[in-house]
Amino acid sequence: MLALFRAGDMMQLMSNPVKHLFSLLALLLVLASAVSAQDSRQPVNVAALGPQVGETVPDFSLPDQNGVMHSRDSLGGARGMLLLFHRSADW
Amino acid sequence: MELQEQLDSLAQEGLGVAAISYDSVEVLRDFAERHGITFPLLSDSDSRVISDFGILNTVAEEGLGPNGDDPEVQADIARYVSVFGASPLIAGTPYPGTFMLDRRGRVTSRFFEEFYRERNTTSNVMLKLGVGLSPIAALQGETAHLKFTAYPSNTSVTVGSRFSLVLEVEPAPNMHVYAPGAEAGGYRVIGFNLEPTDLARFEPVEYAEPEIYYFAPLDEHVPVYQQRFTLLQEIVMDASAEAESILAERDALTLSGTLDYQACDDAICFLPQSIPVSFTLEIEMPDRQRANR
Repeated sequence: MLALFRAGDMMQLMSNPVKHLFSLLALLLVLASAVSAQDSRQPVNVAALGPQVGETVPDFSLPDQNGVMHSRDSLGGARGMLLLFHRSADW
Repeated sequence: MELQEQLDSLAQEGLGVAAISYDSVEVLRDFAERHGITFPLLSDSDSRVISDFGILNTVAEEGLGPNGDDPEVQADIARYVSVFGASPLIAGTPYPGTFMLDRRGRVTSRFFEEFYRERNTTSNVMLKLGVGLSPIAALQGETAHLKFTAYPSNTSVTVGSRFSLVLEVEPAPNMHVYAPGAEAGGYRVIGFNLEPTDLARFEPVEYAEPEIYYFAPLDEHVPVYQQRFTLLQEIVMDASAEAESILAERDALTLSGTLDYQACDDAICFLPQSIPVSFTLEIEMPDRQRANR
């Protein structure tokens, strides 16, 4: 980036200030986007993912180990349910 | 599986139980047969419900992609994917955890971890929900100041288990023991003082809401317990690869230390007390057997 500022640039800056204002702005934009690309990876925060307390979870319809279909509403007891998400029963 | 063992207690509380994973119906059937599972193991084979819930583990695919060598991605892989490195098996899995839902599908509480190898035991979830457990392997004691019962939420634990030591205390008539905040007045707050171990970490104790007691002789207000109360000392079994190899060689882990407290009545403050306690937990290694195909 520093290579952009050659000795002649200063001369040009004085001779054509408007044009150079634009190239400086362009340079700033390039720098800004380089910084944001580096920071664009958000750290994972599992606590913030998925439905939070007070929110309603999506309905679903899935087969169990015997091929019987279940939905969110069919599974609940009188006071609700415990719904566990696990990685795999296979490894 | 522990959840299966707690099924009756959960049903008595009016709670249904189901588990969701990306496994096929066939894999789940095999697992259910091998472990005697009777509650629904739901097959979300294309991970659509997992995605709908917003808990799809995206780090897994990131680790296999062009940014796989990025140190931040590597750190997240160890936290959320596998301490053994990126693996295509994990793509499509959720961040593991538990939702408690009311009758209308609203979340009443949730239990998710920031390290994939750490899990609340079912008994620990029940304790936090205020569902009583029947004490197993309980220690009981009585001193001049109080009666106590102490027991682990689980008698067997594994790599990454998040469980609790439960302490139920009943102060003697006219007697009080100290709650957090009282240390400022020079009193010993009740709690376990366990010997540190490399195989588990101790979380801050969860205390019940104390009452504020006015101690006339010193004209001071102190947080105390005068009635029966329960406190939970949560413990997380180390889940590092090193700890796993150590635990694999052991049948049991004994946690030893003291139950410390100080009691006073309305006129006299007794000296701080330390009662030796010890809890032995069976070590059960996770089932790594793959489904029969």
